[in-house]
Amino acid sequence: MYYMGVDLGSVSTDIALIDKNHDLVEKIYLRTRGNPIKAIQEGFKILKNKYDDSDISAAGTTGSGRIIASAIIGADAVKNEITAHAMAALEIDKDVKTIIEIGGQDSKIIILNNGIVRDFAMNTVCAAGTGSFLDRQAERLDIPIEEFGDYALKADTSVRIAGRCAVFAESDMIHKQQLGYGKAEIIRGLCDALVRNFLNNVGKGKTILPKVLFQGGVAANKGMKAAFENELGFEVFVPENYSMMGAIGAAIIAGDQVKKTGRTKFRGFKLADNNIFSRSFDCDGCPNRCEVVKIYENDAIIGYFGDRCTRWTGKTGGFLRLHSG
Amino acid sequence: MKVGIPKGLMYCRYHPFLVTFFSELGARIIVSEDTNKNIFDTGIKTCVDDACLPVKVFHGHVDSIKDKCDVLVIPRIMQLQKNEYICPKFCGLPEMVLNSLDDLPAAITEPIYATSWKNLYSWAKTAGKFLGKSNNQIKRAFISALNEQKKHKTGIADTGYEINIALTGHPYNIYDSFLNMNLVKKINSLGMGIMTAEFTEEGILYQEAENLYKRPFWTFVRENYGFALNGAKGKKTDGIIYVSSFNCGTDSVIIELIKNSLPDFPFLILKLDEHTGEAGINTRLEAFRDMLERRLFSDSHISTLG
Repeated sequence: MYYMGVDLGSVSTDIALIDKNHDLVEKIYLRTRGNPIKAIQEGFKILKNKYDDSDISAAGTTGSGRIIASAIIGADAVKNEITAHAMAALEIDKDVKTIIEIGGQDSKIIILNNGIVRDFAMNTVCAAGTGSFLDRQAERLDIPIEEFGDYALKADTSVRIAGRCAVFAESDMIHKQQLGYGKAEIIRGLCDALVRNFLNNVGKGKTILPKVLFQGGVAANKGMKAAFENELGFEVFVPENYSMMGAIGAAIIAGDQVKKTGRTKFRGFKLADNNIFSRSFDCDGCPNRCEVVKIYENDAIIGYFGDRCTRWTGKTGGFLRLHSG
Repeated sequence: MKVGIPKGLMYCRYHPFLVTFFSELGARIIVSEDTNKNIFDTGIKTCVDDACLPVKVFHGHVDSIKDKCDVLVIPRIMQLQKNEYICPKFCGLPEMVLNSLDDLPAAITEPIYATSWKNLYSWAKTAGKFLGKSNNQIKRAFISALNEQKKHKTGIADTGYEINIALTGHPYNIYDSFLNMNLVKKINSLGMGIMTAEFTEEGILYQEAENLYKRPFWTFVRENYGFALNGAKGKKTDGIIYVSSFNCGTDSVIIELIKNSLPDFPFLILKLDEHTGEAGINTRLEAFRDMLERRLFSDSHISTLG
C-alpha cells in the first residue's frame, strides 16, 4: 500500500510513492515541457510496469498544475505547494525553522515554529532567480544545467551581476562576458545575485533562523547552496530528495485524507495508454468570456476548469463532438 | 442629454452621488458594464504603459461608453479629507484618458475637493453649468445626490466563519471581481469570512494612524493602515490580506507600514497585474488559509504569536 504524490510544476513533473511510514519508495522526475498531460502519462507508463492500481491507496497533487493533475489521476487531496513543502520538510526534521524553495517559476520562503507554518512569502510578478531562468542561462553559456553549480564552486572570485530582474541580469552577464571574465566567475556572480535577490525580495522582513532546508529543483545547484550559506552565515541543508519534496508532501496529505474518507479516488494506471487531451473554448455565458478547458479521456470529458463562475467546474460527462472546438 | 459614467476606480464607492446628481439634472445615465474581458483588454491597449491596472481598466470603461453618450464624467478626485490627498494618478486621470483615447465626447474633468459641503458644491456647480442647468436645479440635485450617498453603505462584514480576515486595499481592487479574479468569492469559498474598512469608524482609523511618526499624506494610507491595525487588535480578525495592483506607489508605503507595526500578524500580499492565470493567486490564498487554520486550531496551548 503506497501513497502517491504528483507535483505538476512549470518545469518538472515529479511523482513520488511513499509507504505507510512516509518513506520514499519510488521517485520519478520528468520535464513538463509545456505538456502536463503527457508528462503524467509518461510517469504512469513507468509506474504501471512495477505497480498495480490496488497498490495505491491514496493520491494527491500539488504544484501550479495541481488542478489538471487531479482531474486526470483522480486525486484525494489537491494541495498548494506551500503546505505540501512544509509537510514534507517537517517529516525530515520537526525542528526546521526555515524552508527555502526555488522551483521552475516560483520561489518561496516558509517560516516555521514548533512545526507550524508561521509565515510565508512567494515571489511577486518576477521570476528572476528561479529554475527556468537558470536553465536559460545555462543554455546560453553552453553548460549542462547539471554542471552549473560545480562551475560556480570553481571560481575564486565573483563578478557582480545585477539580480533584480532576469532581463537586466542577462544583459549584465553578457556585458561581463564581453569584458573577458571567465564563465566560472560569472556563474558564481549570478548565484550570488540570485541569492541576494531572493533574500531582499522574497525574504524581505523575515528572520531566517537555522535549521534551513533548501528544496526544489534549484537546490541541485551547489553554487546556490554555497551562496546562501555565505550570505546567511550558517549551514543550509539540502534534503536527499530535494526535488521530490512537493510530491512527497502531497502524498502525505493524500494519505491523511483517505484515512478520513476511507477510500481513494485514484483512477488507476490505465490512463497511461488512454488518449487524454484538452480542448479550450471561450465560454459565451457572460461578458467575462472565460477560456474554459475541457479534459477528455478517449472521447469522454473527465473535467472542466478555467471558468470564473464555476458553471463548468466539477462537471463531467459529455462526449467529444467531432469537428467542434 | 446622455451622461456617461465609467464604472471604474472610485465608482464603486461614489456611484450613488454621481448617478443621482446627473439624473436629477434630467440626464440619461449611461454606465459602463462591469469590467469584462473586452473592457480589460481595451484598457490595457489604450492606456499609457506606466499606469496601474485599475487606471488602465478605467480607460477600457471610458472606451466602452464613449460612443453612447454626449458628455463623459471623468472624476478628478483630489481630496476626500482635509489635509490629505488621494492617489496622484487620480489628479491626472482626465489628461491620461483624453490623450490616450480618440473620438471622445465632451468631458467634465473639474477637480473634486470633497472636503466640505462648499468645496464639493463648487464641483457640482461647474458640472451642472456644463449641462446648462440653473443654480436652483443644481442645488436640488446636489442635495439629493448627497443624501443618496449617505444612505449608501458599501463594505463587507461577514459573520459565521471560523476564520476571519481583514481584506485591505484600494476599494476598486477589492470590489472589481474581474480585476481581482473573484477574490471575495474565493476567500469565502476557502472558508474565510471578510471584513472591510468601511465598517470601521472613521474616528478609529484616524486614531490608529496617529501612532505613525507623521500624519499620512494620502487618504488611502490612513484608511488601510488604520483598518489593518485595528483589525489585528483583540482578535477581531485572524489575518490580513492586502490586495494591491502592481506598481502602486501608495500601496508600497502602506504595506511596509503595516508590516512594521504588526511583525507577527499573518499578512498576505496579493499583487494584481495583467495576468489572468489564477494559479498564483489560488496558491497563495490556499496556503494562507492552511497557515491560519494551523495557527488557530492546532496549537491552542502555545502562543499564536512569534
